[in-house]
Amino acid sequence: MSSDTQTGGPLESVADGYNDRFGHLFGELNGPQFALLIGSLAVLLVAPVWTSLLGVGGLLRTLALASIWAILAMAWDIQSGYTGYISFGHAVLSGGAAYTTAMLVAHVNPDLPFLVTAPISVLAALVIGLVIAVPSLRLRGPYFSLVTFVAGLIFYQLTYAFSGYTGGELGQRVGRIEFELAGAQVTTFDPVTRYYVMLVPMLVIAVALLYVARSNVGMILIAIRENEEAVAAAGIDTTKFKIWSFVLSSIPMGVGGVLLAHFYGTVNPLNFLLVDRSIEIIAMAVVGGMSSILGPIGGAFLVIVLREEVLGVFGVTGRWVALWTVVLLVLVFARDGLFRKLWHVLGDWGRIDGGDDE
Amino acid sequence: MSFFELDGLTKRFGGLVAVDALSMSVDRGEIVGLIGPNGSGKSTVFNCTMGRYTVSDGSIHFDGREITDAKTHEVVEHGLARVSQESNPIDAMSVGANIKLFTLPNSVTSLRGGASEKEIFRYAARLDLENKLHEQPDELPHADVRRLEVAKALATEPELLLLDEPFAGMNQQEIDGLVEKFEELRDEGVTMIVVDHNMGGLMRLVDRVVVIHNGTKIAAGDPEEIAENEQVRRAYLGSSEAM
Repeated sequence: MSSDTQTGGPLESVADGYNDRFGHLFGELNGPQFALLIGSLAVLLVAPVWTSLLGVGGLLRTLALASIWAILAMAWDIQSGYTGYISFGHAVLSGGAAYTTAMLVAHVNPDLPFLVTAPISVLAALVIGLVIAVPSLRLRGPYFSLVTFVAGLIFYQLTYAFSGYTGGELGQRVGRIEFELAGAQVTTFDPVTRYYVMLVPMLVIAVALLYVARSNVGMILIAIRENEEAVAAAGIDTTKFKIWSFVLSSIPMGVGGVLLAHFYGTVNPLNFLLVDRSIEIIAMAVVGGMSSILGPIGGAFLVIVLREEVLGVFGVTGRWVALWTVVLLVLVFARDGLFRKLWHVLGDWGRIDGGDDE
Repeated sequence: MSFFELDGLTKRFGGLVAVDALSMSVDRGEIVGLIGPNGSGKSTVFNCTMGRYTVSDGSIHFDGREITDAKTHEVVEHGLARVSQESNPIDAMSVGANIKLFTLPNSVTSLRGGASEKEIFRYAARLDLENKLHEQPDELPHADVRRLEVAKALATEPELLLLDEPFAGMNQQEIDGLVEKFEELRDEGVTMIVVDHNMGGLMRLVDRVVVIHNGTKIAAGDPEEIAENEQVRRAYLGSSEAM
């Protein structure tokens, strides 16, 4: 379908090679879109090289942090962005996983290996996700959103109510990640290793979620957002699919929560459960372009880089004011998201429509 | 037991009885008209059948199964499909994708199932929409949107099709075209119940007519009998609607 509308050139033939092999799985791309994806991927994969060459080694920390938030933003997107059941409390899932790790390390055994605490913590996020999803997905519109919002408030207060266990406002130390991979010791004390430990899960989750989003399941979730009754009339159990979207979301939320816990080294309510964290996840997805998976990745990198590297000129609290102002401007003037806009520009450039959902 | 059977079907909304102990049955291969003035309870019967409303009393059986309390998707899986009075295509998806949605398996692990492009083309061609697969529903003329609704319902491969005012808003030529399509479907073995408040377009299509008024059956018989029926005339005159 794409080849006869192409203008030709080496970029197009590489993109066509991709389209033939993977286009039906992840959506078709044209040359410029393909170049953007491969270029971004290359920039991320060799970031330790160019950051050290340019003398901006500190940027690696920011990119590692952005990778984690990209996981959270994508995970929010596959549930809220796709089904239209907007969750205002997603930080509960990542926070739940982070606190599970913290409680295991603090109260069970401080020597529990990462490869034990991480899966248990992700499982905890899944359980929390289902506990929220099953009763609340029957509700429509603002009521569903309110339930998720209130769930976030409850979790936040619980960390103070049980401060004997959670360490209250100060939180609980969890330390860095250390595990053995193929005989080699992997530890996030080393900034380069830490970067890859955050980046690789992000890329794996991106591929997995894109695969699901471009499948029947993604199509049904979008259709639920547009017209739930029509989906039921198609013989599809919308409740089952809405719960499934929470499963698809909770697992990467758990992964992101665990990574964030070890990134900071401490799990506290401020960094994990404050309602601002849930809204930041939404902001990243919306700034990038919700219900596209790729958009939220771009949104997360943009927001984190702005916050950590650029807006610091406004001062410690001033940068937050500046950041939320940027988010507000995007909401008002580019409601569909900056990266969706860019994607369409590239799409028009190559004169075929890309792998977008809409 | 008949292919499709309502037995004492009752639907109450608070104090209002919208459908009152309605019993009727449809045999395989029939086209049955369900007519009555506006507000007589016809759409409520379909909504109860499709699991959109909970039934207050009575039962609904289809193809040997009780579906009284079944959910919408279960009813569709059993082989029933409905064309609603209001068209509700998903405007964000093309005509082809709208049809494909109705062929997708109800399974969260089925990532690449559903109809092939060839099959979707065939479903669309049944309603003469095969050249509009890539258009968006909101670009289509009204009659095509109605045809899309029928194509979607047929894509679930139903054995019984419930048609709720399928001719609404169409001109005579479009009505004639759609009636022909329904006759083709009957030849393929699809059973149909057609609701209309206007008896005109219906009479040459249906084998039998059931007339309801205020939720109760007031007459049943072949189209000629019904056209002559004094009680039916009075019901329609009382609501000042033409037959």
